[in-house]
Amino acid sequence: MTMPYGATVLEHFRRPRNQRTLDRPTAAHEGFNPLCGDRVRIELEVEGAVIRAAAFTANACAICTASASLLTERVSGESVDVASRLTDEEVLADLGADLPAARRLCAILPVRALRAALAGLRRKA
Amino acid sequence: MADILEQLEQLRVTERRVAMATLVAARGGSPRPLGAKLFVGEGGRLVGSVSIGGCVDARVVEHGERLLRDNRSERVTVTVDDAEAQELGLTCGAEFDLLIEPISLAGSDPAVTAYESAVRISRSGHTAFVVTTMATGVPARVVYTDAYDGPQQNVFVERIAPADMLVLVGASDVAAALSRLGHTLGLRVIIVDGRERYATRDRFASADDVLVGMPSELVRPFLVAGAFVVLTAHDYKYELPILREALRAPVRFVGMLAGRKRAEAVRALLREEGLSDADVARLHSPIGLDIGGREPEEIALSIAAQLVAVREGKPIARRSL
Repeated sequence: MTMPYGATVLEHFRRPRNQRTLDRPTAAHEGFNPLCGDRVRIELEVEGAVIRAAAFTANACAICTASASLLTERVSGESVDVASRLTDEEVLADLGADLPAARRLCAILPVRALRAALAGLRRKA
Repeated sequence: MADILEQLEQLRVTERRVAMATLVAARGGSPRPLGAKLFVGEGGRLVGSVSIGGCVDARVVEHGERLLRDNRSERVTVTVDDAEAQELGLTCGAEFDLLIEPISLAGSDPAVTAYESAVRISRSGHTAFVVTTMATGVPARVVYTDAYDGPQQNVFVERIAPADMLVLVGASDVAAALSRLGHTLGLRVIIVDGRERYATRDRFASADDVLVGMPSELVRPFLVAGAFVVLTAHDYKYELPILREALRAPVRFVGMLAGRKRAEAVRALLREEGLSDADVARLHSPIGLDIGGREPEEIALSIAAQLVAVREGKPIARRSL
């Protein structure tokens, strides 16, 4: 299988990391693209100010799935503060792909879900 | 294949009393199963059938009208004369026994109450048994849930099982047409998609449920014995997560809308993920009997025909790869 968007996307789509549900998530949010139908739910287990575990469930395209895989790897063990400040550009850079404009939303859907999950956590606090 | 409650609803629009004819025995073969019903309205409306039409139903209508006028029940035998049939080269000689009884649609008729109860039971996922005693002049009914192990003589036992389930993933135009056909075929139709603009009540008016969310999670409770799962999304983002589970579940049928090349690519990905050859071999794709046609309604018809063939255990059910 070839992938026009590069080896990282292909690797994380075929062998996604953290694709599971958490037993006791403290924060979660499901993001979706109403037109293409991508759906990704980010779950977090936050203890104090640290994300102890991050996981995702996706019915999504390869780019979105790979992005969620990379994102959950990146924020597991990270502070909530740092994870909250993660930018779209950083997520796109992690994918190492030259995505056309039409596919950028696929890549940033997971990080938007992450931000929404963390915002929900702050509202609960 | 409307259930009896839907038939009674149709009748209530114009009728207050009807004769309900139930096929209770057949000798020499019957095109319809025992329990098949034909309703003859006082105002002339006909709903249902006890044969595939023709002379048998016509005679039952006559008996129904007579018994409605007399306001009494009767077990009637309708004979299709063998000699007559042979002479014409039509070998449909047979004998049918029918229980014909007047029922009221206006009040709380005991027959209507019994069938309403049985259909509610079947819609809740259980099998109902309607046991009709025919020894006295007026038929009497008792409804049982899940099992009936009482006497079989001098009673007529109707088994009303939950409808088979058709789970359609991907709220496409093909799914919309297939949803309508599935409903007509008596299936319980569930629509699943991640997109709320597609999976709408407006587009799927006859579906039993329209569910929007994470498709692989929404489908999971329906991956049960007897279910038909049909993927009409034509999108790997839904196909792969659902096939991973559906092909390992005890469902009756898993089909995916795809051309041969694409279907092979999906099979290869599933094998790569660790599904066994036996699991992957359960996938019907391309889906539908090869009747030609490119419009959504035509494709849906070919799929519906395949589902019927699967239900009836016909060899045509598996399309050659």
